[in-house]
Amino acid sequence: MLEALLGNATIEKILFFLETYGQGYPKGISRTFNISVNGIQQQFRRLENGGIVVSFLEGKTRLYKFNPRYPFLKELRAMLARAMEFLSKKEMAQYYRKRTRPRKPGKPL
Amino acid sequence: MKIEWKKITIRDLAAVISDVLRKNGIEVTLVGGACVSIYAKNKYISYDLDFITKSSLKELVPILGELGFKRKDGRLFENPECKFLIDFPAPPIAIGNEPVLEFKSLRTKRGIIILLTPADCVKDRLAAYFFWGDRQALEQAVLVTRSNRVNLTKIRKWAEKEGGIEKFKIFQKKLVAKA
Repeated sequence: MLEALLGNATIEKILFFLETYGQGYPKGISRTFNISVNGIQQQFRRLENGGIVVSFLEGKTRLYKFNPRYPFLKELRAMLARAMEFLSKKEMAQYYRKRTRPRKPGKPL
Repeated sequence: MKIEWKKITIRDLAAVISDVLRKNGIEVTLVGGACVSIYAKNKYISYDLDFITKSSLKELVPILGELGFKRKDGRLFENPECKFLIDFPAPPIAIGNEPVLEFKSLRTKRGIIILLTPADCVKDRLAAYFFWGDRQALEQAVLVTRSNRVNLTKIRKWAEKEGGIEKFKIFQKKLVAKA
């Protein structure tokens, strides 16, 4: 949808993921979309170098979020939200409706 | 002038880098923690020099290479003799949602440094405190404010616009507290 503007489909998926969940790590995103971890990491580096995302270490995991100091963040997120309205119900359910509320250990997901 | 990389100060290094790039037609502006070090007279030492430039990194590589700085990772440059890292974050220069359009020109014996004004340096640090709750950034904003003349009324108005008025009040309390 925004591939032509963003450069490739992986970066679009990453940005949709962050728009939906607020944060993400390469392995998790890789599993969600069945894309190689390297491919995700490469695009995260590109986004981080451009100041669009920032990363933090949480334990041993590098977690990425939108950079709240990116001056065009509001406009970028508005565009992503608008583009996501055009996703099919299937895509929405498959990729962007994962459970995010807490779940006690031991309970089935 | 011979450069002793092991002993160079952050201010001198900023001037050396700015000067050599300017002579090659590349304009850079110093932002971030290095501005704090300069304005707070080294009461806080940053080990990163963040320069913003509209030039491409490819243009920088040969020029910085002559000074012994090699591209390390992404936008970072490193000289093994020097304790400071040089970074070139992506433009534009912005603090919160606002573009920064006015800068300070600092003349040193090593050359001229174009950098954030003290007021924008304080706002830059406060923005990090507002967005990430970074207490170090808060301390740095206090250091710069104490060592320079900045218009706190304007900064307060900016903080209101950025939704950081409660944290600005904490900053004000810190300013009047004993150092």
